[in-house]
Order: sequence, then structure tokens, then C-alpha cells
Amino acid sequence: MMRGLAIVLLMPAVASAQEQHSALAAHGEAASQIAALTWVLFALAAIVFALVAAATWIALTGPPRLRAMLASRQTIVIAGFVFPVVVLTVLLFTGLRMTAALSSDVANPLKISVRGEQWWWRVGYALPQGGRFESANEIRIPVGRAVRFELTTADVIHSFWIPSLAGKMDMIPGRVTSLRLSAERPGIYRGICAEYCGGPHAWMALSVIAVPQAEFDDWLSKVAQPPSLSQAQRAGGELFMRAGCGGCHSISGTQANGSIGPALTKLGTRRMLAAGALPMSEHNIARFITHGPEIKPGNKMPPFKILSPAELNSLSAYLMAQR
Amino acid sequence: MRGLPDSLHKEWQRRIPPRWRILVIVAIAAPLAAFLFAWSGIFNVAASRGHFRIVEWALAFVMNNSVETHAALIKEPPLDDPNLPILGASHFYTACTPCHGGPGQQPNATLQNALPPAPDLRGTTERWKNREIYWIVKNGIKYTGMPAWIAQSRDDEVWAVVAFIDALPKLDAPRYRELAIGNLDPTAIEDLTIAKCVSCHGGSSGLPRSNLVPILHGQSAAYLTLAMREYASGRRHSGIMQPVASDVPPGAVERLARHYAGLRPRRPETPGFLFNIREGEQLATKGMANNAVPPCLACHGPNALETYPRLAGQNPVYFAARLKRYRDPKVDTTDGAAIMRPIAAKLTDQQIQDLAAYFAASGSPGR
Repeated sequence: MMRGLAIVLLMPAVASAQEQHSALAAHGEAASQIAALTWVLFALAAIVFALVAAATWIALTGPPRLRAMLASRQTIVIAGFVFPVVVLTVLLFTGLRMTAALSSDVANPLKISVRGEQWWWRVGYALPQGGRFESANEIRIPVGRAVRFELTTADVIHSFWIPSLAGKMDMIPGRVTSLRLSAERPGIYRGICAEYCGGPHAWMALSVIAVPQAEFDDWLSKVAQPPSLSQAQRAGGELFMRAGCGGCHSISGTQANGSIGPALTKLGTRRMLAAGALPMSEHNIARFITHGPEIKPGNKMPPFKILSPAELNSLSAYLMAQR
Repeated sequence: MRGLPDSLHKEWQRRIPPRWRILVIVAIAAPLAAFLFAWSGIFNVAASRGHFRIVEWALAFVMNNSVETHAALIKEPPLDDPNLPILGASHFYTACTPCHGGPGQQPNATLQNALPPAPDLRGTTERWKNREIYWIVKNGIKYTGMPAWIAQSRDDEVWAVVAFIDALPKLDAPRYRELAIGNLDPTAIEDLTIAKCVSCHGGSSGLPRSNLVPILHGQSAAYLTLAMREYASGRRHSGIMQPVASDVPPGAVERLARHYAGLRPRRPETPGFLFNIREGEQLATKGMANNAVPPCLACHGPNALETYPRLAGQNPVYFAARLKRYRDPKVDTTDGAAIMRPIAAKLTDQQIQDLAAYFAASGSPGR
């Protein structure tokens, strides 16, 4: 009954579970445990609240016999000292055990590096055939497999949080932190930066896409394959280099090897553009190239209004074709 | 006071002591009389009539004091660089002489009939200190026809003109001409539009004579056209280039641009300041990834878009000054500057000098 009441009270939060962006809609081992602990805490708090309310009522209007009992030394020692000590100690050790279990090593986790940068996420995979694959703002993981994120930051403190899959973990300058999680079922889980990091912090989101292991292996084995491009799209690729885009961005398999901004390899397959600022589309790519600072105020990529409309079309077509 | 109604008359007598009455009457009557005088149109604004001597004295008195006071706190930078008066003279030769004239150059007769007529500036350095000339050139003077400097953010250009005016009294006609336009004989040049560019930027005869001026030889025509359009619109600030660029007849800009694009690139002289070419090369080819500075050559290499300027073989002194100016958002509001500003802001002065030296040494602009 208590749980039913809580669900009614927390309806708005639970409703957002459909977007896979809620700590109460757990889809991973770590998030489930955290959610369970949340419910236990909520239930305990509710019981304590009821007891305190009852005691207050007795103290004010109860029969003299009960009031005398309430004021006895025995009641104060049990309810005011023994009960909190026992409950809080149990909770403390439950929490400690849970955290230890969640951060303990597991055999053969999938390692993915994520570096927080103002204001996007640099994502790196080790490829099975050797070498690395760099992406940004979207992380693909296999369902059911333990994933270990190695978290660093390029500038200030960020916090890596995918509410439906795990708790949050800070990215701290000069240190490597790690977070383990696994997704229980396929889905798209939204993540955000949970530590204010300046400027467009609110536009520093990411997507985690959990897919079956076979699909994941297939995807990872193909990320190094260059896309097949039409004649017009190849012209866009030439423009990409001539306009200097490759000075900051990389696309694997091309001469573009800039490491200042996000890698654009397989850009067309990502759901969102500019760390959640816009849905991915050719039109939005063009908009972001020319009007980035208006779409994501404070963002570091300067506006390239210097490009002609034809150049812009060619460029965005080439980028959207990165699949 | 008999014309006043009784009650007002009584108030007047009760409140204003007799010795103040005349003052009150004057205070009301004088402005009224002045207004009536202006309204009547009796005053003659004709430039042909000149001023009364006392008016002329009063105007000069106000102007002299105003300039001296406003310029009192201005610090004069070192003006002994010989490149400064060359640039200043080239600008003066076309922009200032219509009113002021110069050694061997008559002012425009029509403009000399303005009131006041613009003075011959050869006596200027005795009358004014350099900082005061700077203030006048930059701000202009009300009611005299002396215009303010178009690009208020370009103090460097104003000082170049001051450096020239400082040298002016010592110049006879041939030396003045040589300083302003070099060996050029404007009457011998068929294309007068190109002649306008040549006195500062050089041409088939050679490189710019002042190292404060960019080398245009071999630069892409598309970029030169864009730059001229940006100068003419005032988005790229320059009190020297804006009047020139906005004066070029439509259609002639592309022709000028093609002319310079077709000139054989030449290497500038070795810069005379401390630098480290290796550091410059590292920055130009690799950038500073950890400080969000991309390699210069990503956008300014030989294969870059035609609308991007080539940097190889650029005049190092101009290059360094230009790159530093990008840091100030007021100096340039073009679309290109929006891209360059964050980069220029991250480079130190030393890095900028290293880059200038590297590009000056790395061959010719263009392909």
C-alpha cells in the first residue's frame, strides 16, 4: 500500500520513464539497486514520519497513561537512540556493500573511455582488430555485458550520469575515475552532465544505445569502413578539407585528423547533433555550421558564415553521408 | 512694469528688490532677443563673407584650448620607425591633399574656398604637439570641415599619419613625392585604379615599401575581392582602406584582384625582431590541440578555399599586427574575424611573432 501511495505521489517522475531518462525507471543492474535503495529509504522515512506524527498527537491530546509512557526514560532511549543507530548503521553498510559491488572488477568488461569537454563527450573504443575508434556524444553498448567507463576531463569537473543505467560519476581534472554499468534490455538511454560546467552545460547530453551483443559486434567491426559516397558527396569531402574543418575535427579514413572538436566519423548515424542540441539532419548540420553560437550559446565552434550556400549544402550532405 | 496686471505688478514690487530688477529683465530679454535675431535670418552664414575678427578669435580660442586639454593625457608611442611615415604619406597623398595640399601639390581650389580654408600643414608641427595632431586626426574638429578618422578603432593608422605630419616640414616636393608614392609616376600609368593600390602595396615593380602594409602578390582573387568588399562596408575597419575600397568603381574590384593574383609572388625581407621559426612551424602545421588552436595551415594552406587568405610569404610585421588586432572584437566584425578571434586570443605575442617569421620565410603566398 505504501508503495502504491509513493507511486501516485511520484507519478510525474515515473511518467518520464518512457524517455528512458529517470533514475526511477531502472534498466541496469546499478540503477536497479539504486532505485531499490531509494524505495527502502522512502518507506523507512514514511514509517518514521508516521511514528513521529503519532507521538506528537499523543503528547498533545493522548490519555495520561500513554503520555507518561512516551515521557519515560525507556522510550527516549529506545526511540531516540537505539532505533536511529540501528537503522542508520544498517543503511550505511547496505550502501557501502552496494557501492563496493558496483565498482568492483568484473571479468572481461567492455572498456569505453569517455572524456568530458566543454561541452561535449569524447568517446573512445578499442577496436577488436587493433586501433581505436573515436566518436562523440553517443555511446553504443551491448545488452547484458558489463561496461566499464574510464572517465576523464579535458577542462573542468563534469559528471557522467545516465540515470536509467547507473549512478553518476564525476570527471575530475588530473584523475581517471571509472563507472561500471550494464543495460538489462535494449533501448536508448539519455545521459547528461550532472555537474555545472559553465556556459551551455544544459546542452551537454549524450545517448547510450543498448543493442544485442551480436548487433554490437557487427557495428564495431564496421565502424572503420569508409562510407560509400556519391560524386557530389565526395566534392563535399574535398570542401571539408579545403574549408579547414579537418583542423579541429577528425573523420577516420580521411586526412581530417583534428582533435580539438568532436570526431565526425559516422556522424550521420548519430541521433543528435552538438551533444543533444539538435536532432541529427542535413538541415541542422548546415544550421549548426553557420549559427552554432545562437543554437548553443557559448559553444566553442565559431560560426562559419563565410561559406556560400552551395558550399554549405555540399558540406552538410557529405557529413550526413558519414554512415 | 505698467503693462502687467495689478496682482502681478504687486508681486513684482513685493518680491524683487529694486537693485535686482534690471538683472531679471535682462535675463529674460537677452535670450529672447537672441532667438529673435536667429529667427529673423539677419545673420549671414555665407562662407564668402568671412568672420568678424572677434568671432574668428573666439572660435580659435575655443578650438585651441579644447584640443590641448583633450590631448593632454595621450601617450605618444615611438614614431621613429621609418615604415610609419611611408604609410602615413601614401594615405596623405590621396586623402588629405584635396583640402590641405602638400609640397608641390596644390589643394583643390573649390575646397580652399570653404570657411575656414584647410591650413597648409607644414607649419603644424610648430603649433601642435604630436599628441595633439593625433587627437585632431582621430577626432576631427567641429564646424571646420575636418572629418574624424573613419575607423575609430585603428589608432595605429592615425599614428602613421602623425609620424608623416611630424616629418612634413622637412620635406621638399621631390622627397615628399618619393615618400608618398615611391618611384611611381602616376601620369605614366594607364590604369589609374591600379595606381591607387600600387603606391602602398607595390605591384609588378616590387613589394610594398612600408612593412605595415600587406603583400598582395599572388593572393587569391576571390580573397582580395572579399577583403575589398569588407573594407568598403566598414565591417573590416581601416581608415586608410575604407575610402579607397568604397571609391573603386563597381566591376573594377574583380579586375584589381585578378591583377594582384596574377603577380609573381616575392619573398619579404627577413624580419628584424626576435623569433623562433621552429616554434612557428610547429604552430602552423600542428597547432596546439590542448589549447584549442588548430594548425594555421588547415585553413591557410595551398589547397584552402579561395576565399581564405594565403599566409606564406606575408610581410611579418603586418602579419603580427593583423593577428593581434583580431583579438579586439571592435576592429573587425567580418565573418572571417568571428573564426579568427578565438584563435588569436589564445596566441601569445611571442607565438604570433614566431608564426610571422615562419610564414615570411616559408615562401610565397598563393600557389
